[in-house]
Amino acid sequence: MMHKISALAVTLLFSAGVFAAAADNVSVQDPYVRLAPPGAPATGAFMVLKNAGDKDVKVVKAENSLSKVTELHTHVNDGGVMKMRPVQSIDIKAKGETVLKPGGLHVMLIDLKAPMQEGNVVPITLTFDDGSSKKVEAKVVRPTAPGMPMDHGKH
Amino acid sequence: MSQRILLAIAVALGLLVIGLGLFWNPGQPETTVSPRGGDFTLQSADGPVSLSAFRGKVVLLYFGYTYCPDICPTSLVRTAAALNLLKPEEASRVVTLLVSVDPERDTLAHLKEYVTFFHPGMVGLTSSQAEVAAVAKQYGAFYAKHQTGSAAGYVVDHTADVYLIGTDGVLKERLPHVATPEQMVAAIRERLSVQ
Repeated sequence: MMHKISALAVTLLFSAGVFAAAADNVSVQDPYVRLAPPGAPATGAFMVLKNAGDKDVKVVKAENSLSKVTELHTHVNDGGVMKMRPVQSIDIKAKGETVLKPGGLHVMLIDLKAPMQEGNVVPITLTFDDGSSKKVEAKVVRPTAPGMPMDHGKH
Repeated sequence: MSQRILLAIAVALGLLVIGLGLFWNPGQPETTVSPRGGDFTLQSADGPVSLSAFRGKVVLLYFGYTYCPDICPTSLVRTAAALNLLKPEEASRVVTLLVSVDPERDTLAHLKEYVTFFHPGMVGLTSSQAEVAAVAKQYGAFYAKHQTGSAAGYVVDHTADVYLIGTDGVLKERLPHVATPEQMVAAIRERLSVQ
């Protein structure tokens, strides 16, 4: 009996260590959606993605219910010209973190179904390259400048 | 004689090739051209607006568009924060203009609603493609429509600097996209102190 239990425990430990899904290794900090100005058809969601696992992980898809389309985007500063481009995936290195922030990588909420309100919570589902997924609750905040008291980009 | 002419042509062609190699750089945006600024008149929801109407005030000029989901809000939020850091008597002598480089999608009414979200004093301007392009060229601002394959439609790549125009209507400096509100306030105050 003891033998069986310890075997089971070993199996569980083993599976937790080796077969842990990307979603289990990735934690999300400070997710927020920037309140879209009136009439603006799209806005960005930002967050810090931390990967506690030993393997690199990719976010390959994002979905949300507030907008018709969700895409992964980045910005390239090409000699002072800001270029926004869709990306296929967002990498999170093993034991590393990736910051989604204004002017850089972000989740784009495109074609908002209804005007959003400050304080609304937007559930965003991130899907990783191993097929696992994670739900993130991102609060809608009014944009503030860096260094200002309400700056959510630096927490 | 004809050999000399041929040689002259060969040398001229050679120089042309070298010159093109050195100076022709079609991929570079026009930010490398030293901008001269100057007066312009564009349309707002409340009628035409001329830069010359703001003599005695410091003008912050920004080129952007309302479909711009990230860079423009970031710049405009910083600008609004800078305006809010100014004393009321200073702020009353500062005008912020957003010139939409996307007149195809930005209506004047929409522009007004958009800029007011950031700061009640901001003014949204645009006009025909040609007129907007002329003003952008005057200030050395670059923009280009780009199809990205995104569901959001086309994006407009653009320089994200804030152009600071003095009380005399002359372009003084370009504040980079990353300038903090405090840096913007310092630059504005410097220009306000010059009469």
